[in-house]
This record gives sequence, C-alpha cells and structure tokens, in this order.
Amino acid sequence: MAIGISGYSAYIPRLRIKKEDYAKAWGSFSAAGVAEKSVMGFDEDVLTAAAKVSKRALESVPMAPDKVTRFAFASTSPPYFEKLLSGTVLYSVGMPNSAFSSDHTTSTRAGTEAMIAGFEHISANQTGMAVVVAADAPSASMWDSVEHALGAGAAAFVLSADNLVAELEGHASYASEYFGERFRPRGNPYLHDLNVKKYAEGSLITNTTRAANALLKSLNRKPEEYQHVVIQQPDARVPTTVASRLGFTDAQLASSLVSKSLGDLGAASVPVALAAALDVAKVGDQIMVISYGSGAGSDALSFKVVSDRKAPVKVQAEMDRKEYIDYVKYLKIKGAIV
Amino acid sequence: MAHVSVPMYWRTIPQRYKMIGQKCKKCGAINFPPKGVCKYCQTSSEFEEIQLSGRGKVHTFVLISAGGAPPEFAEQEKAGGQYPVAIVQLEEGPKVIGQIADVDPKEVKIDMPVKAELRKIYTEEEVIRYGFKFVPG
Repeated sequence: MAIGISGYSAYIPRLRIKKEDYAKAWGSFSAAGVAEKSVMGFDEDVLTAAAKVSKRALESVPMAPDKVTRFAFASTSPPYFEKLLSGTVLYSVGMPNSAFSSDHTTSTRAGTEAMIAGFEHISANQTGMAVVVAADAPSASMWDSVEHALGAGAAAFVLSADNLVAELEGHASYASEYFGERFRPRGNPYLHDLNVKKYAEGSLITNTTRAANALLKSLNRKPEEYQHVVIQQPDARVPTTVASRLGFTDAQLASSLVSKSLGDLGAASVPVALAAALDVAKVGDQIMVISYGSGAGSDALSFKVVSDRKAPVKVQAEMDRKEYIDYVKYLKIKGAIV
Repeated sequence: MAHVSVPMYWRTIPQRYKMIGQKCKKCGAINFPPKGVCKYCQTSSEFEEIQLSGRGKVHTFVLISAGGAPPEFAEQEKAGGQYPVAIVQLEEGPKVIGQIADVDPKEVKIDMPVKAELRKIYTEEEVIRYGFKFVPG
C-alpha cells in the first residue's frame, strides 16, 4: 500500500535582515549566495512556529487532528535542553495526548530523521496518521562567522496512506563519525565550528552522496529522471556542490533553493525546501530529498507527486511577506546585547 | 512583576494555548476567559467546555511605548519597540484582551480581523509562559 505526504505547509517569520547590514557592521558577510535571511520575532520560538505550521498542515488535509497517532518534532534550537518539547505543540494544536510523540534535536538532519520516524510509523500502522514538524532558528555567537547564515523557518507534513499529495518511493541513510564541524558542547548555548572547510566538505560529500547513491541504486534510478532535487542548505552554495557531485543540475535544484532569501534553516532547511518544491511540482514529477547533519549523517528520500493539491499558503508567499530590520534591532531581538 | 505561580499558570493552559471557553448550561452564553459563575446570567456555575475559533476583530486598542509596559513586558518593548494591546471581540461573542503580534503598530485599526496563535508571553522562574496573541487575518 502506498504511503506518503497527505498535506504540508511552511511558515516563515516575517522579519528579514539583508547581507548589506552585516557587511556594514562587520566588513563582510560569510554566507555564500545568501542575499537576506529570516528572523524570528521577540515573542516567537521554535515551539510557537511549530504550533502554527502544524495547525496549517492539518487544516490542509481532509482528516481531523484527533486522528493523529504519531507526532515528531525536529529542531536544533529548542528553548529547553531537557523537557519534552513535542508535548507543547501536540497539546496546543489539539492532537491526541495518546499519540506517540518524539523530539529530534541534535543535528540539522533532525528534520528528515523525524520524517522517516513518521513514515516508519505509517508503514507499520496503515490506518495511522503522523504529523512531522521541523522548526528551527539556530544561534551562534555574533563574533563567529558561522552566525551570518543562520535564519529561521518551519515546515510540517501530514503523513498517511490516504489522500496523498506525494507518494514515498523509498529512503536510505548514511551515518558516520566526524567531529569539529557545527557542534555544541554540553552547557553551551551557541554552536561552534572549527571552520576547517575542506575537511567539513569531505564529511558533507561523503555522507550525502552515500545516502543518495544507495537510494538511487535501490530504486534503479538516475539523477536525470528527477524533476526536483532538494538538498540541505547551510548556505546557497553547498547544495550546488552536492548536486553536481551526484550528477544533478542547478535546474533541478532551482525550485527548492530557499536559502538565497531565508538563510540556513537548520533542521527545517530540507523540510521548507521540500515544501517549496511541492508547491510548484506537477503530477508525475519526482523529487529527490537529501539532508545532512554534522557529526555526521544524511538521509535521502524519494517522492513521486500524485496530486495537484497544494498547501493553502505557498512558500513563495511566505518569503514575500516581510519587514526589514537593521543589525542593531537584530542584536536586540536575538538577545545578543546583555 | 505580577507573580503568577507555575501551578496557577498551568491551570489556565486550556484557555491560553487552545482558546477553550465555557458555554453556560443555563443561559447558553459563552464565557471567555472561563469564570466561576456565568458572567451573563450570574446564576449558573455549570458549564460545558467549548473550542473557540480564535477569530475575532479589534474592538479597541492601545499602543504601549517605552515606560508604559508592565515589568514582564519591558524587555519585549525595549527589543522590539512599541506594541499594540487590543480588546478583541471574538466571533463567539466574548471580548478578550491580548497583544497583536506580527504587525506594524501603525497599521492596527478598529474592526481589523484577527486570529489567535501561540506566542511567548513572558518568562518567569525560567519557565517560558506561552499563550495566545492575535495576528492579522
């Protein structure tokens, strides 16, 4: 029986800061290909964003929230390091308390980790219904160039065996041991990066290409058979590097390259980018999805679009709804002035 | 700061996170936020829980500027600037006070349609107090 995505939605906070404001403050801007990025408001966090976007995704499907049997929440920037996070969202959205909920928080791969957890649940319970949400607004020290790319966004998916928008064709993963790239030592609120670029790129390429090639092989597919490829976007250049290594083209990347105007969405990067690809995909289109998280691991998922039902709010509309702030206001909102 | 203990705040979670109101079993009026005795007939204390839509319109509003914010909202005002607080008439009838978020304060108008969504209200005892605010829509 086919399982897949029955509904989806994205949410982008409306504040934006431009790369020119960084350049004015620091003399440079180190996020390749990023022109501006999204910023959460003072009264928002990943749980409020997750609640908003989960509700939107549930409103987009002809199934009731009280039928949800599985809920998975993903973020690298949770407001608490210990305390169930998914409970806040599950309760406020009106999903049943009895739905099995889980939190996925330790790398930017968390978004697809949650999706695969949701799909595994539906594979085992074909009358079940899963909601998977990724919401992220990663933080680093303002002195660290890795901070420049960090944006904010969220996307949610309703997974089931009914009313499919996109059918899951398969998934594959690859995990390995790497260190020194994008990590947060215990007790430290900010992420670190030793900035050893070539070494970090080695981890990125190894993990993503092995996960994606394993999936292509198991489906007996070639990259050129896909209309869309969605790749982790720590900036706007990394996905093009991974795409070309695998044999995908920039044209296949175009529909999902949201980092140009939103920055690095962390665990929500691939989920928001997938929502953008679904927004424009036609029935019959195939979508390859490849995430990456430092430490390191990658998930690859393949979808086939089976319905032209779209999210009620398009990612493009969310990107167009914006208010610019300057760097001083950005520092105040991020709590960087103490 | 007006201290609200964690257990006291927790008891108000249904109204703050989900807009759960009460329908009076005697007169049928809808109370929000929930009351001990119906605000309308003032005789019944028996209610059934009802899920409100969260939609309404601005009945009236005020803009809170520097120096005007209560201590728990002072940091919000300093970081984000002036913010609107409105009395919103919910579509089920009750009027309720709440902040309006995600809007340029100058664009808030009487009768503007709004809907409730979850936001951080303030933090006390290192516990984030979530609750509804209104946003345009």
